[in-house]
Amino acid sequence: MIFRIVVRRLFFLIFVLFGLSLVTFSLSHLIPSNPARLIAGPRASKEVVDKIREQYGMNDPVVTQYVDYMQGIVVFDFGESTSSRRPVSDDIKQYLPATVELTLAALFLAIVVGMPLGILSAVRPNSIFDIIGRLVSITGLAMPSFWLALMFQFFFFAKLGWLPDGQRLPSQVEPPGQITTLYTVDSLLRGDIGLFWTSFKHLILPSVVLAYGSLAVITRMVRSGMLEVLSQDYVRTARAKGLRESVVVVKHALKNALLPTLTVLGLQVGLVFGGAVLVEIVFSWPGLGRYAVQGINQFDYNAVMGTTLIIAFIYVVVNLVVDVLYVVVDPRISYA
Amino acid sequence: MSIEDTHPTSVRTVPPRTAAVPAASERAATLLAEGRASRMADPTDWRSRIGRFNRRFFRGKPLNALGAFIIVLFFILTILGSNLARARGVEYDPTRPRCGESNSCISQKFEGPSWKHWFGTDDIGRDVFSRVISGAKYSLAIAAMILVIAVTVGTIVGAVAGYMGGAVDELLMRITDMFLAFPALVLAIAISASLGPSLRNAVIALSVVYWPWYARLVRAQVLSIKTREYVEAARAIGSSHNRVLLRHIMPNAVSVVIIQMTLDVGYAVLATAGLSFIGLGAQPPTPEWGRMITDARNFFRDAWWFITFPGLALTITVLGFNLVGDGLRDYLDPRTVRE
Repeated sequence: MIFRIVVRRLFFLIFVLFGLSLVTFSLSHLIPSNPARLIAGPRASKEVVDKIREQYGMNDPVVTQYVDYMQGIVVFDFGESTSSRRPVSDDIKQYLPATVELTLAALFLAIVVGMPLGILSAVRPNSIFDIIGRLVSITGLAMPSFWLALMFQFFFFAKLGWLPDGQRLPSQVEPPGQITTLYTVDSLLRGDIGLFWTSFKHLILPSVVLAYGSLAVITRMVRSGMLEVLSQDYVRTARAKGLRESVVVVKHALKNALLPTLTVLGLQVGLVFGGAVLVEIVFSWPGLGRYAVQGINQFDYNAVMGTTLIIAFIYVVVNLVVDVLYVVVDPRISYA
Repeated sequence: MSIEDTHPTSVRTVPPRTAAVPAASERAATLLAEGRASRMADPTDWRSRIGRFNRRFFRGKPLNALGAFIIVLFFILTILGSNLARARGVEYDPTRPRCGESNSCISQKFEGPSWKHWFGTDDIGRDVFSRVISGAKYSLAIAAMILVIAVTVGTIVGAVAGYMGGAVDELLMRITDMFLAFPALVLAIAISASLGPSLRNAVIALSVVYWPWYARLVRAQVLSIKTREYVEAARAIGSSHNRVLLRHIMPNAVSVVIIQMTLDVGYAVLATAGLSFIGLGAQPPTPEWGRMITDARNFFRDAWWFITFPGLALTITVLGFNLVGDGLRDYLDPRTVRE
């Protein structure tokens, strides 16, 4: 049953990836500027530019170019970055772990804080938790993340001096080895508490800022889900037969309230990736978002489209996993 | 007696927990869409409807009132903002440096908030308060344009797909899926990077990002409405497809779209500011709020006011639209009516 769903979704995934490549390919052909001229530099002669056009296959028919492009994508070849002069896929390999560490930390934070906050504010209306919960869910979606990031930087770095202003580690510190490529996890695995603490401190501000928007959504979903479930008959029955309130909340209500939350969680990944672009810039976080924006400023379209495609790919896969989880969690659902 | 008169005015549609649940992105749309009363032209007179709206929307709901107040203020600033700023004199001009092109008054930059300059001055001596109130119109114009384009395209695609079904539906929705597979802001960045940095291109990029959400939303609405008996009845008495879609189905889908639009104004404002922050949206000296934050970035350790106020303006504006959007959703959602 689950196997069949996974296979179905995988077929769909192939289709979506095809679509993604079509979108990014069309975009890179929308560019009004002359990419060959950009590669050659402003002083290059016309012959050099023509040679580059030939070399990069820019004179081929569009269909041929697209086929070439697709053949590249299948083996994770996004062409050469015109700014770093390296394959874009190498750049992505270098910058991806930073983004993964940041987004995972943010999502973790959003879930770990948002779920209890949502539950408590539903179970205890008008308590301090409810007030905090509602405040978070109202402000979280209204504040621009890059502004919040700069504000945090101002208070916690410039004013209070508690936390570093950016980067994953200070420049003179050697990063831990390449076990998982996540600095906090790697330093723990190596048993280097000092290094863990340093990288952890660098992670705090960016991940808190990034988590805030998702925290708002999760708190709100859990809260409204719980409120709806708690007013239902079977919860009253559970209470009537004398179950303790904690059992009613956790065993009876929570499970059903979590379903809609799971859905938004998949979508949050998209929100977090988008927010990461902005947050990475503010905190000089050496991740994909900053790489893409640097690519934009240097007209490095291979880098921009490669990064876009990779992020979309991760997003699609995550949502596939969420869809499958949905079936696992709720046996009433099928994708028949 | 026309078909409209025979409609139940408020059909409670709380769909049962269905066995088949659509894909993740679709579920978000249906979460918003499900369980909303079908709303047709109501024969009751307008005054009582407005009265009921006031009672249910404002009474005992200070947040809704706050949101409405913020939106009204925002609209006033949109219309009057830059004129108000200019009316205070040349030194309050939102775009020109304080003393023209010369640097004779360079000492007047980075003044802290004072009675003269409520929000202080920026790096070339411009009054930050003037710039902030002048910025309202950019946010509103941008958000309005984005939403008009996105809603128009999305509604047409969604309505056609939902009503026609079959291969057309399949084709249109697969195209929609292609766009929905990207995280919104990431796609917007890629598009506006390809088109080149300007406010116009940012608007195009964000419209491209937003229309698929409306297509999904409208399609889901049309799908659920078109099975109603009154639609069948309209077809039976010989109404054309156009008429059925425009006169009998779409009016019932409108409220959902309006709620979503109210909620999306905030997102559109934030996303535009985000693009401007990266350098892809508004270009200097436009006093767009996101752009102001970028410009202030390099100085904010010494001049906190320069960056704080545009951000606060953004936050408060988005907050206003979100509060009203939430309020409208509660107002129009029959599940929350427990009277």
